[in-house]
Amino acid sequence: MGIKRTIKVEAGRWPLLAGLREIAEYRDLLWVLAYRDYRVRYAQTYLGFAWALLQPLAMLVVFILVFSKAAGIATGSIPYPLYAMAGMTAWSYFAFVLGQSGNSIISAQGMIQKIYFPRLIIPLSKAIVGLVDFAISLLLILAMMLWYGFPFSANLWAFPFFLLVTLISSLGMGIWMSALTIRYRDLQHVIPFMVQFGLFLTPAAYPAEMVVSRLPEWGVVLYYLNPMAGAVEGFRWSLLGGAPPASYAWISYLTMGFVFVAGLYWFRRMERTMADIV
Amino acid sequence: MKQDSAIQVWGLSKSYRIGHRKERTLGGSLAGGLRKLLSTDREYELFWALSDIDLEVSRGQVLGIIGRNGAGKTTLLKLLSRITYPTRGHFSIHGRVASLLEVGTGFHPELSGRENIFLNGTILGMSRAEIRRKFDEIVDFSGVEQFLDTPVKRYSSGMYVRLAFAVAAHLEPEVLIVDEVLAVGDAAFQRKCLGKMGEVARMGRTVLFVSHNMGAVAQLCERVVLLEAGRIVADGATEEAISRYLSLSEIPGNGYIHRHGNRKVEFLSWELSHPELGPLTEFRMGDDLLICMRIRFNEKVDDLDLGLSLRNASGERITHLLNHDEGLRLSGMPGDEVLVKVQLPEVFLAPGRYAWSAGLEKFAEDFDVIEDALGFSMVQGGRPSRTTIYPGNVRVYLPGRWRAER
Repeated sequence: MGIKRTIKVEAGRWPLLAGLREIAEYRDLLWVLAYRDYRVRYAQTYLGFAWALLQPLAMLVVFILVFSKAAGIATGSIPYPLYAMAGMTAWSYFAFVLGQSGNSIISAQGMIQKIYFPRLIIPLSKAIVGLVDFAISLLLILAMMLWYGFPFSANLWAFPFFLLVTLISSLGMGIWMSALTIRYRDLQHVIPFMVQFGLFLTPAAYPAEMVVSRLPEWGVVLYYLNPMAGAVEGFRWSLLGGAPPASYAWISYLTMGFVFVAGLYWFRRMERTMADIV
Repeated sequence: MKQDSAIQVWGLSKSYRIGHRKERTLGGSLAGGLRKLLSTDREYELFWALSDIDLEVSRGQVLGIIGRNGAGKTTLLKLLSRITYPTRGHFSIHGRVASLLEVGTGFHPELSGRENIFLNGTILGMSRAEIRRKFDEIVDFSGVEQFLDTPVKRYSSGMYVRLAFAVAAHLEPEVLIVDEVLAVGDAAFQRKCLGKMGEVARMGRTVLFVSHNMGAVAQLCERVVLLEAGRIVADGATEEAISRYLSLSEIPGNGYIHRHGNRKVEFLSWELSHPELGPLTEFRMGDDLLICMRIRFNEKVDDLDLGLSLRNASGERITHLLNHDEGLRLSGMPGDEVLVKVQLPEVFLAPGRYAWSAGLEKFAEDFDVIEDALGFSMVQGGRPSRTTIYPGNVRVYLPGRWRAER
């Protein structure tokens, strides 16, 4: 309390950076909204929080059966379950944020039409909720590494970087989709498809070399336009070693940067009319 | 910028596009984009919900905003609350702002009362530390302490509203923007809310208060702004603005729904008015009503019946009046015209919509019957000084002399 401040609003003026600074002032709201989503997620389910563990494990079993046993994909010195788990961890976070953010503004319309707060808080809170599952998956990876007696790779120094790449790709895409969906509601139906296809178009359950070596160059470039293609490769390489990201991966990192900046820009542009459109 | 002003608004305007919805889909947008390239005509109209609002509210002032539905009150509040963004103009607000356009924004049914207090409080702009500090007070005010750990979806609607308002009541902003959120809960709770509002106002906070309840406005506000069609049409002392608002109500036309009869005697005109303010369609409880009807005899009729029947919005007949009731006899020769005036002193109908039907008849013969000839509404804010909403199903108020003896 006691903060003296002046609010100034002028038609036609919507500074980009001032809006970002405001997020810091509203951090309590960000935490509370994330907490709400987290609490509500497993409310009234029998297994409760155990779902956060069961989902990735079930997925892993399917991966092992399909990619390792049936298709016989080789992952070198890294045991396949560990290989797939690392890829899946990064990809699942992206899929979660994308899936949750798409509808986020629309489902928060009750709040948006009744009270002011930086709207960016909404997709941001989804990205925070996703971190819970992400952390659990990371712990699973650690447990599996212990089980297999598999050491961290020498590339661990790069892990923070690829972690950041994963988070930023997810957040950028989430922000962009949440803003786009309010104007183009069709995306509500497109996003689940993107998540489904993305799983196959991202080297989560298989090594990227398989794609790089079999596709023509333009196909590979297209493949790496997926920001998660490079992110997943780097994420796994920094943790477990194996093949470093392909030279094409820079396309992914560029896409990531573009998606993040464009997403923020687009969101800020839409922000002031959100209450009118939703 | 003056030191003592809390809110300054310059030329604030807001327009909405209407009749242009195709853009919502990707395909529609692509098609629309193509069409825009090919032609210059626009498919939408602009609707100005608010135009050129200039306003200055000084620190500590309690300002009421009144106007009919669609006059722009809520748009103004939404702009000042930054929920929506102006098309033109600018404003500045000095000090910590809280806006209450609804109680219980963001409440989640799955979460407990305790969690919702934190959720809603944060949404309204309190910090978590602040909520923790006021937590006991909030719980006390709401009276739901037994159910604090029950999900709010199991609450009765009364409990829900009480909890929601309790959070809102503990905001400590310097500038408070309130929409008609007080019209919730039972009378006792409303009184509590209104009391809290008055307290906030007395503590030297700046308050912007939108309401249809003239009684509450008259009690709380020292200055009132009247909006009409998106513009400020009156700005000044509360009493003045309220009577201006009442006289703004549209003058009744001959907007009846059904008229029948053989017209041996017929109505030429009919009008509902206030003895001092002239023709009105909105009255305060306790106002005098004046009904003037000009009738013409086309044939010779002796001792006809002029009946006035009053219905409320649900179609129930509230009363029936007849010229004979008060000893007036009406007879005439062909060509005679008579102006009949009926003054009804101190009408204490419960707030709501009403309509008078008028009929000229004799025995079973209908000469001229006009159903719902004169519509009007009764609003709070007159003689009974009650500021809370009347409970449902109340039909009339009975003015009485109350005293306490010991």
